[in-house]
Amino acid sequence: MSTVAVMNGNYAAATAARLARPEVIAAYPITPQTPVVEYLTLFAAEGSLSSRMTEVESEHSAMSILSGASLAGARCYTATSSQGLALMYEPYFRASTLRLPIVMNIVNREMISPQSVWGGPQDSLTLRDAGWIQIYVEDNQEILDQTIQAFRIAEDPRVLLPINVCYDGFYLSHMTERVEVPEQAEIDAFLPPYEAKHQILDPRKPMAIDPLTSGYLVMEYRKKHMDSMAAALGVVEETDKAYAALTGRSWGGALDLYRMEDAEYAVVTLGSVTGACREMVDEKRAAGVRIGLVKVRCLRPFPKAAVAAALARVKGFGVIDRNVSFGWNTGIVYQEVRSALYESGRTLPSVPFVGGLGGEDITLGLVSKAFDEIVAAVDAGRTPQSAVWLWAPRKGVKA
Amino acid sequence: MSALDLLAEREDMISPGISACVGCNVELTLRTVMKVLGPNSILAIPPGCMGGVGVVGWNKQSGAKVPVFFPLLDNTASMLAGIRLALDAKGRDAHVVAFAGDGATVDAGFQALSGVAERGDRIIYICYDNEGYMNTGYQRSSSTSKGSWTSTTPVSKEGQGGKRQHGKDFPMIMAMHDVPYVATASPAYIPDLVRKVEEAMKVKEGLAYIHVYNPCLTGWGIRAEESISVARLAVKTRFFPLYEARNRKFKITVPVPNPLPLEDYTSRIKKFSHLGPERIAELKDLAEERYRFLEAVSAGGGGRA
Repeated sequence: MSTVAVMNGNYAAATAARLARPEVIAAYPITPQTPVVEYLTLFAAEGSLSSRMTEVESEHSAMSILSGASLAGARCYTATSSQGLALMYEPYFRASTLRLPIVMNIVNREMISPQSVWGGPQDSLTLRDAGWIQIYVEDNQEILDQTIQAFRIAEDPRVLLPINVCYDGFYLSHMTERVEVPEQAEIDAFLPPYEAKHQILDPRKPMAIDPLTSGYLVMEYRKKHMDSMAAALGVVEETDKAYAALTGRSWGGALDLYRMEDAEYAVVTLGSVTGACREMVDEKRAAGVRIGLVKVRCLRPFPKAAVAAALARVKGFGVIDRNVSFGWNTGIVYQEVRSALYESGRTLPSVPFVGGLGGEDITLGLVSKAFDEIVAAVDAGRTPQSAVWLWAPRKGVKA
Repeated sequence: MSALDLLAEREDMISPGISACVGCNVELTLRTVMKVLGPNSILAIPPGCMGGVGVVGWNKQSGAKVPVFFPLLDNTASMLAGIRLALDAKGRDAHVVAFAGDGATVDAGFQALSGVAERGDRIIYICYDNEGYMNTGYQRSSSTSKGSWTSTTPVSKEGQGGKRQHGKDFPMIMAMHDVPYVATASPAYIPDLVRKVEEAMKVKEGLAYIHVYNPCLTGWGIRAEESISVARLAVKTRFFPLYEARNRKFKITVPVPNPLPLEDYTSRIKKFSHLGPERIAELKDLAEERYRFLEAVSAGGGGRA
C-alpha cells in the first residue's frame, strides 16, 4: 500500500533516496538542490534514515567520498546542481570509468556566466559523454519513481555504471505536486542490498584498484564500458516494467511517446517542458493538426533505434532544447536526435528550438508558436540552419 | 618491544622490486610505516613518487600486499573518508591510510584533507614531503624551501633565481585544526617514526596526521649514500624539528638544544648550491623562528632538555 503525499521535487528525491537505503550519503548544498540535503539531514536527525550521512566541504569531496565508499562496497547517493557538478567533474568522470554504481540526482540549473541560479539542463547535458547513465524526468512522481529505479539499474551486474536522474531546478525542485510513495517493504523487495563483486577494497582479499594501465587495456575497459551502456538500455526498460508491476506506474523506459500513433509531425522534448508540450499537442490536435510528442527520458545511453522508430512515419519534427551546443548553433538534444535518424538512413525536415535558458519560462504561447513553426517548416520541406529562438527579446535585440 | 625488533619481526607489506631511485628514503619510510600498520589496512597512494615506482602496481599486478589504490591527486583524504564510512556502515574495521606526497597534500589535496580534519573522519594520513613534484622532474610545490632550484624555479648562470617564497609550515597548519594526533617524522629517526605510527593507530576518532620529511636524492642533488645522514642533519640543524601534537598540546620528541650550523645541511644539497650566505641566513632565520615558536607552544618548553 502506498501513501499519497503532497511534496516538492526535492522532497520526492530525498524520499526516494531514503527508501533506497543507501549506506553512505555525502552531499554539499547548492541552489536549487539545497533542500535535498536539508531533508536528508532532517531524516537522519529524526532517525528515519539508515545511511551514514556526511556533510562535506565541497562537491568534489562529495563525489570523492562516495567513490571511496563505493570502492569499499557501499550503496551510495548524492545530489547536486550546475557549478557543483562542474566542480566534481574530475571524480565524476572517474566514478563511471571505475564502474561505481553511484546514484546522483542532478537538479538542473543553468551554467554561469551570466550569474544565474535558475533552471536548465546545460549542466548535466554538457557532461553527457562522461560515462554516466543520464535519465531526465518530467514531474515529481517521476523523480521519486525513477530515483528508486536508478539504484537497481546502476547496480545490475550487466550495467555497473553510475546514474543521474535529472530534474529541472525550481520548475520541479520547488514545485509542489501529488506524489504516491511506496511502502518501505515494497522497495526493500524491489531493491535488495548491494553486493560489490567486481572490485572491492577489503583487507581480507587484497587487490590493487586502478593501477597504471597500458593503452591496450584502456581500450578494453572503454569497450566494455560502451557495451554496458548498450546493455543499460534494456535494463532501463526491464526495470521500468518491474516497477510498473509493483506500483502500476510505467514511465516508458528510454522514451515516452504521446499521441504518436498517427502523427504527421512530432515535437521532441526533455524534462519538465514536456508538460506544456503535452497540453499543446492536445490543443493542436483539437484544431486538426496531427502532431505527437516524443519525450527523451534516457539521454545516455541514447535510445537511437527507439528514436528512429518513433519518428519513422512522421513528415518532420522539431526539438525543444533548454540548452545550447556552442558551435552547432542549436541545442544538444537536437543533434542527438538528428544523429539517430541519420543512422537509420532518414533525412527529415526538422526545426531546432532553443528556449527556456536560465529558468526563462517556456509559455504555452511560445510552445504554440513552436508547433506552428514545425508544421510550416516541415510542409515547406525546410530545415533551419540554426536554432529558432523561443523568447521575447528586449527591444532593439534581433529575434 | 623495541622498534627495531618489531621491524625485524613484521612482514613487509610492500612488494619487492619496486623501482624507486637508489637510496630513496621514501621507500624506506613506506615499508617501515606499513610494517607497523600491518595487513588489516587499506592503502591510498595518490599520483606521485610511490605511485610512479609501482606501489599500486601495473594492471594485473599489485605493488602491495594490502588493498591499494590510486586516489586522484586532490582527493586522497576524502576518498579515505568514504572508505571509513562504508566500513562503519558494514560494521568492519581496518586502518584506512594515505601515503601521499606533498603535492597531493600541501597543494592540491589540502581542501579535502582540511575537510576531513574538521569533520573528524577517522583516517591515518602520512605525507612524505620531498618538497616538490619529484617523479616528474622536480617542479616546485608550496612546501619547497625558499631559494631552492627546481625545474619551475630555475637558476641563472649567475646564480640568480630559485624559489622566491618560503614553504608552508604544513604540520603546524594541521595541528591548528585541533585534531587528535599530528606528528612530524624523519627516515633518520626510525624508532621515533615507529612510535608515532603506533600513536596514530590508537586514534579512535578523527584524523591522525604524520608529516615525514624526506630529502630527495635525485631531485635535490644528494649523494645516495648520504640519504639518511642528510635527513638527520635536517633535524639536527633545527630545519625540520620532530614533534607531536594532540589537540594542540605540543611535545618536541627529538629536542635539539645545540643545533648544528645550517650550512652543514645545505652544503650537502645541490639545489641550494647557488645560495650565498645572505640567502642561507634567510633559511636559518626561518628555521630558528619556527623552532622558537614550537618551543613556546610545547609543554614545559620541551626543547630545552
